[in-house]
Amino acid sequence: MAESGSAPAPQAPAPPVVPAGNAAVAVLSAWLIPGLGHFYLKRRLRGLAFFVLVLVAVLVGCRLEGNLYQVVAGQPLTILATLASMGMGFIYFLLRYALHYQGNIMGAGYEYGTAFLLTAGLMNLLLVLDVWDIVRGKKE
Amino acid sequence: MSHFLLMVLYALVVSLFFALLWRRGRREQIKLFLQIFLGMVGGGLLVAWLMYPFPSGPPAPIP
Repeated sequence: MAESGSAPAPQAPAPPVVPAGNAAVAVLSAWLIPGLGHFYLKRRLRGLAFFVLVLVAVLVGCRLEGNLYQVVAGQPLTILATLASMGMGFIYFLLRYALHYQGNIMGAGYEYGTAFLLTAGLMNLLLVLDVWDIVRGKKE
Repeated sequence: MSHFLLMVLYALVVSLFFALLWRRGRREQIKLFLQIFLGMVGGGLLVAWLMYPFPSGPPAPIP
């Protein structure tokens, strides 16, 4: 016997915010430059705030001469650390290949700087996921 | 820059980031910011206080 009118109708999933092609652009730009994905999705103030926060983390990390990870043979954990650092997108490659940033293991702030640099990369990876959620209509 | 200031700066950046990422309303953002920031700084001070009786020992060798 069917119940009369008490069962709620199943909610249809929210429609994607941008078309599929533009979704790829949003996600890629979010990774490439921190906050750019949000900026692209018209969340301009939030995008700017994220850009500033990630940039501050990178600048403090560099000022403290932290380690910008790269893969070291025989040390598999450096693969994960490198992927985390690469999360900061264009900035990683700018520091590594254009500015030849190395970090300084003898520096007083080496460990702190490394923490800041890793955090910057991980924060930007979270921003990429946030942009993906916005694109899929799961977040506003 | 002192260890404490670096810890505060780190907590500031991280808590601002997560407040903006996880909350949308201004009041909720401020609430989460304070929770994370005070949790990190207060937690750091608490751990430091708990470790105070232990000797620091010789510095770790540089690999």
